[in-house]
Amino acid sequence: MSAIANDSDKQASSSGELQYIQYEGDKEETYLPAIRQLISKDLSEPYSIYVYRYFLYQWGDLCFMALDPLTNALIGVVVCKLETHRSGTFRGYIAMLAVQESHRGKGIATKLVCMAIDAMAARQADEIVLETEVTNTASMKLYERLGFLRSKRLHRYYLNGNTAFRLVLYLKAGTALKRPDMGDGAMGYGRYEGGDNAMFGAEAIA
Amino acid sequence: MQQSTRPPEPKVHDITEKFTRACNALEVGQLVKDDLFTLFESIGALEIMDSKMDSGFLKPGETLEHDYDALNSILPEELVGIMDQLLCHEMAWHTGYPLSQTLFTSVYIDNLLWPEPKTLAQAQFYRGSIPDERRPGVLLEALRAYCLAVIKCCDYVIAKVTGRDYFEEEDFCTHTYNRVLFVQIPLDVFMRELDAAIENIESEPDLSEDVRSAIITRLQFRKDFLIALDPDCPLSQLESYWPPIRSNLQPIKDTQPLGKPVPSSFTTKIQRRLASTVPPRPIVEFEFKDAFEKLQQICTDCEQATNFVDLPSDPIEFQSFLWAYAGRKPAPLTYARSYLGTILFHPETLNTGMSLPLLDVKGLVYPLSPVTDQSNWALSPPRNPLMPKSPRLQLSLLVDEFIERASQPYLDFWTALGQNRCRLRRMMTHVIIGWDNLQADAGIVDEDINRVVDEMGIREQVLHDALTTWTYHKKLWMVERIVLLGFEQDIYLPDEYASMYNFLSIIASRRALVLSRISEHHAQRIASGIIDTSDPENVEYASHIESLQCEATALQDLSAAMAKLYTVLLYLRLVPVPKRPFSTEELRYELRMKPFLALQPPEVEPFAQHQALLQPFGPYERPNAAFAASMLDPKSGLWTDMEAALQNAKGRLQGMKKQGAAGAKASGAETAWKEEFKGLVESAVLFGVVIARLKGAVRKVEGSESGVAVDVKVEIPAIVVGTKCSDRWIVPTVSQKLK
Ligand SMILES: CC(C)(COP(=O)(O)OP(=O)(O)OC[C@H]1O[C@@H](n2cnc3c(N)ncnc32)[C@H](O)[C@@H]1OP(=O)(O)O)[C@@H](O)C(=O)NCCC(=O)NCCS
Repeated sequence: MSAIANDSDKQASSSGELQYIQYEGDKEETYLPAIRQLISKDLSEPYSIYVYRYFLYQWGDLCFMALDPLTNALIGVVVCKLETHRSGTFRGYIAMLAVQESHRGKGIATKLVCMAIDAMAARQADEIVLETEVTNTASMKLYERLGFLRSKRLHRYYLNGNTAFRLVLYLKAGTALKRPDMGDGAMGYGRYEGGDNAMFGAEAIA
Repeated sequence: MQQSTRPPEPKVHDITEKFTRACNALEVGQLVKDDLFTLFESIGALEIMDSKMDSGFLKPGETLEHDYDALNSILPEELVGIMDQLLCHEMAWHTGYPLSQTLFTSVYIDNLLWPEPKTLAQAQFYRGSIPDERRPGVLLEALRAYCLAVIKCCDYVIAKVTGRDYFEEEDFCTHTYNRVLFVQIPLDVFMRELDAAIENIESEPDLSEDVRSAIITRLQFRKDFLIALDPDCPLSQLESYWPPIRSNLQPIKDTQPLGKPVPSSFTTKIQRRLASTVPPRPIVEFEFKDAFEKLQQICTDCEQATNFVDLPSDPIEFQSFLWAYAGRKPAPLTYARSYLGTILFHPETLNTGMSLPLLDVKGLVYPLSPVTDQSNWALSPPRNPLMPKSPRLQLSLLVDEFIERASQPYLDFWTALGQNRCRLRRMMTHVIIGWDNLQADAGIVDEDINRVVDEMGIREQVLHDALTTWTYHKKLWMVERIVLLGFEQDIYLPDEYASMYNFLSIIASRRALVLSRISEHHAQRIASGIIDTSDPENVEYASHIESLQCEATALQDLSAAMAKLYTVLLYLRLVPVPKRPFSTEELRYELRMKPFLALQPPEVEPFAQHQALLQPFGPYERPNAAFAASMLDPKSGLWTDMEAALQNAKGRLQGMKKQGAAGAKASGAETAWKEEFKGLVESAVLFGVVIARLKGAVRKVEGSESGVAVDVKVEIPAIVVGTKCSDRWIVPTVSQKLK
């Protein structure tokens, strides 16, 4: 585990021994309502349950949660996916991240993101990307401290008309040179979901 | 042809048992995912009975339909208020919100459009027949005329926007939810409605004069606006449409306080009938002040765009205009960009004697050249195809071949220049790939041209590999803009500035080199008497090349100086550097260089070389002893290189100034050109002050990592996107430390 994650281990433990765990598919009933509630607090429009299931069903092992050990309450969560992108890279994507307001600024999100990055790196991800509103200082700071760079500015990316930055972290050398693999098998895998809406990392022109 | 057959008898299979058996294989609550269920579908999914997603969900006591009666009489002040509310919604739509959250929330608009009227006469606030006492009076009739015109304005706007390249939802929402915005009904019908309304209001007895004039101003404005938006306006008259609108704007603003808004005439309930598959979304609240600003901006931007018509037929003038227009602050709205795009791509604009790409080529690499001599195109091929073609004919055919090949990349380049600022940068990173391929092809045509030219014995008259040179020059110009836009859009973190300015400097130096080859060749032709220096074409050409050279070198030197300064700040640990446990410098370099890695040339420097250049004193956190020594010695290369680069840049800027906007071929965008130039000069001056202050504040610190410190406070200003041109040149501020 990374230096930062260890740092924040300490911070977290001094603030009440949070428990960090990986999501599991058969715990949907236990955790999904809380995850939805936590995430949707910061959304102008809620995601349907299928959005959560889309990620958690396929990449539940890339979802990490911070729990209060006494009450089992969900304090923070990160939700990701990892698949071959149409550019040819094996791309991790951080889809959702949130920490309870009362627990912010203690390194909880940092720790969750570190766990997710470590998990994706262990699965040989080439890169990790995400979008965040240009005005979301806390989130930009968090990711940039870990090594993400801003790669693009996305005009009116969100439904509410706000502009976003695409942040990117390369994990492997040669990622920029990868090209779509047109060999057999690759087609179904890296299929570009042409109809993706602006959210979750698909754009008309990457 | 499909045979019309009787539908087959339905066959019934009982699958109950199969289904039950299959279900037994699943746990309760276990998910099953179909391979075809995509992220897109999951995002589009709605949950029934969730009030935030299900637009049909009714809270206890809530009604499905609104109960606003559009036939209720309104006060004159309310008429003014509603007109202004509609204006606010219209402008909100112009900034990118959908009609369903803006204009289409108006009960009046909705009643006119739905159920769909067959004729304009049917487009009333009611359908069918109504008792006489319910018939709308003069005020409601005026509101109807105004609404009809607003709707027609939307129709015109959509036509113009969809006629050009734009991005749905990002730039603009053209969705009309199956409402037909009077597409078939011509302009004069709406004008008549507005005229009739104006007449009626003029003769309406029970109106106070100020309210009367407020209403008439708005109707008059709507007339002028509608005329200006008409997509069939002839190019030559475009500029006459905007000034009358401007004259009505101030009175609208002044009389706005007279109006009395009627919020109840707007409701989100209409959304239920627009699209059932979209969650209910709030009405966009746009203040009158903001809406008015946007309206003003659209008018000024469109009026500015009409100047394009009067530009000299020179593609570089076009390019300068487009670049300046894209850089206007605040950024032009989508409609205004489409408006300019329509002028640019109008057949009358493109119909120049010589094709625009060819003019562009000629203006850089073939001035007064036998290769592009008009007479080459007058030659006809020999009757007998077995006979050799004359060399001049061969030249014209080769040039035509190249121009045809270049037309798509050229078009892509102009299309990119018409996008919103964020897209412009990203699209340009794709356009350069097309130009890179073009350059390879240019090389092949160049070889043929070289051969013909040798055959003709006019080698010294023709720039060698001219087409490659031209393509490369344009590509390098784009790469420079991509980096500059990166600064402007706050893409780079402060600890990347040194590296990015360094890259910019390398690219600009390549372009300067290309230009010096061009100008040397030109000088040779003058020296050997091939060119008459007093020829007006030559005068113009010489000034343009001089201007380009000065600009490229100024960029090269200024960015080199900036790179050096930020390198020093990195050694002094005065730039915030994140810890970045998951990343390495090499990986970040690769990410940053990604858009340019495919280019050949210019080849991206290998990381080791890049690092050696940017870390001349070893790692930033542990510089070698030479760093302190150089810092403390005002005559060391560290300082003199920086000062010389800056001095050089200033000299080149003076050279640019001498040639002026005309030399830069930006005479049609002179104000913007001057402003950009001023920004450059100011940055250079400020930068000189920074170097001097820093240099004077260095002090030896034994035992510290770098061995030195500066006794001043250094701050790197935050970029406020969309404010000023010089935000591409981020000059740190140096001030006295508070004791
Ligand atoms: C973004 C978010 C997940 C961060 O959670 P957190 O647990 O507070 O984050 P951490 O404590 O690990 O780190 C956040 C960093 O941002 C800083 N920060 C927090 N709020 C800040 C603010 N308003 N302005 C500037 N910096 C801020 C913190 O100080 C910390 O940096 P530091 O350690 O250098 O001081 C949390 O704010 C949140 O849930 N926001 C709403 C949802 C959201 O925006 N998600 C991200 C969408 S991509």
